[in-house]
Amino acid sequence: MHSFYNFVSGPLAWIAFILFFGGSTYRIVRMLMLVNEKEKFIFTYMSWRYSLRSIFHWIIPFATVNWRRQPVLTVVTFAFHICLMATPIFLLSHVVLWDEAFSISWWTLPDAMADVMTVIVILGAVYFLVRRLTLPEVKFVTSGSDFVILAIVAAPFVTGFFAYHQWLSYPLIMCLHVLAGDIMLAAIPFTRLSHMLFSPFTRAYMGSEFGKVRHARDW
Amino acid sequence: MRNVTLIALSLLIGIVLALTTAWSQDDMTVVDNAAFDNPQRTPSVFVHDEHNEMAEIDDCAKCHHLYEDGKLVEDESSEDQSCSECHDLEGSGDQPSLVKAFHTNCKGCHQEQKKGPIMCGECHIK
Ligand code: HEC
Ligand code: HEC
Ligand code: HEC
Ligand code: HEC
Ligand code: HEM
Ligand code: HEM
Repeated sequence: MHSFYNFVSGPLAWIAFILFFGGSTYRIVRMLMLVNEKEKFIFTYMSWRYSLRSIFHWIIPFATVNWRRQPVLTVVTFAFHICLMATPIFLLSHVVLWDEAFSISWWTLPDAMADVMTVIVILGAVYFLVRRLTLPEVKFVTSGSDFVILAIVAAPFVTGFFAYHQWLSYPLIMCLHVLAGDIMLAAIPFTRLSHMLFSPFTRAYMGSEFGKVRHARDW
Repeated sequence: MRNVTLIALSLLIGIVLALTTAWSQDDMTVVDNAAFDNPQRTPSVFVHDEHNEMAEIDDCAKCHHLYEDGKLVEDESSEDQSCSECHDLEGSGDQPSLVKAFHTNCKGCHQEQKKGPIMCGECHIK
């Protein structure tokens, strides 16, 4: 089990991070090149002011009509995403490993709080799952890959939670956790999880078009 | 009467001796984590003597190393000091922080020898 752990947290983690950063850069550069080729005129009305104004509104809960229209979904989406990104970055265990590997370290969450945030992510994923299974208008646009993506995101949190509490076979769960984390990182640029990369651009584009061309708000 | 006193006295001395040796017996089973402000984990399992016997470590300085003026003093050890007397919580320059000193020392050797625990929960058992 130790050699497998060393493999998934060593060479495979390197590959996952390279795919994550390299793939993300590639996807963004490709997107910009495509726009440049096909719809160059978009650049002429892109505006920092309207872009940032739109992004700003959309990252505040309830600051847009859309967020207000679906209050439960809004709360879940924000809680889910904040915990999703903050937990792994500020997790004590992860920072201990960064420190040992590269002598870099930063502020960490108390373990008890990270544990609660992990549960929030897991519950958020359950909410999205139930929504996809039960709401007709969502069910209609749902395909198999949506469930796979949800599973890819939930897996590191479920296994991390079990590992932290040392439930079931600890070494096995620990290995599965790191493997699940590697898979999630590598999957971000190449699946719909890339909305993390593209959502700022989409928002900036919408904001600019509405603000500068239509003289309207997009929130 | 004198005999009784003698017997009682030697009994008493015997009991006190037995008790103190029982107390001072070095059955350290975990590494104390009192030096940390707000420990987040259970103290690491470490049955001092049994561990070192099983791992066949004769040189105390493998762990209890001694530094003077930043230089390693060969052939001397520092078991009369705790690690936290030299390693503070922050660490500085080449001197690792207290957590990192423990982890590098323990996990480092386990990785090197491909024996002994390397995952958090194998040492910090709940
Ligand atoms: C594998 C590492 C390791 C080796 C080898 C080792 N020790 Fe220790 N020892 C420790 C640690 C860790 C502590 C706890 C130190 C602390 O709390 O700062 C300790 C504590 C002690 C203490 C304090 C006892 C107590 O109960 O607080 C003594 C005395 C001691 N060691 C003696 C020795 C002697 C003598 C040897 C060589 C025969 C030796 N040690 C070898 C790791 C080691
Ligand atoms: C007398 C002070 C002193 C004590 C006691 C001490 N250390 Fe250190 N230690 C140092 C210094 C100084 C350094 C920095 C060495 C350098 O500059 O490379 C160091 C470095 C280290 C390192 C990293 C370099 C190496 O040797 O691998 C580890 C790991 C370490 N100490 C573990 C421990 C542990 C574990 C204990 C307790 C069992 C301990 N130290 C007790 C002074 C001490
Ligand atoms: C110089 C090498 C070395 C150092 C330093 C060392 N260990 Fe070990 N440790 C071993 C070896 C080798 C084994 C495996 C022994 C075996 O299974 O035969 C082991 C086994 C263990 C085990 C499992 C024991 C068991 O009952 O199965 C624990 C727990 C452990 N070490 C904790 C620690 C801690 C905590 C420290 C640091 C304070 C430490 N070790 C430092 C070499 C080392
Ligand atoms: C080989 C055994 C070993 C392994 C593996 C190990 N530790 Fe430790 N750790 C120790 C020892 C020994 C200490 C010193 C104090 C103590 O006993 O808790 C310590 C201290 C700590 C501390 C500081 C005290 C506290 O409770 O806040 C933290 C945090 C910590 N370890 C986290 C981790 C994490 C996270 C991992 C996995 C990435 C890990 N450790 C893996 C042995 C280990
Ligand atoms: C190389 C990849 C990774 C490694 C080596 C790694 C390592 C670890 C370790 C050692 C623990 C502690 C387990 C314990 O306490 O025993 C942990 C917990 C955890 N990890 Fe990871 N991890 C990785 C990737 C990820 C990713 C990508 C995520 C999420 C996006 C993640 C989320 C978590 C969570 C949520 C916990 C548990 C928190 C809790 O309930 O307290 N990890 N991880
Ligand atoms: C800045 C970064 C991000 C933004 C702005 C963002 C935005 C969004 C938005 C607006 C939704 C739709 C929620 C809804 O249905 O109303 C969503 C859903 C989701 N996001 Fe993100 N996201 C980001 C990063 C991430 C990351 C890093 C991940 C995981 C790796 C992730 C995973 C998910 C998942 C799993 C869903 C739910 C999908 C479903 O409905 O089944 N997001 N995100």
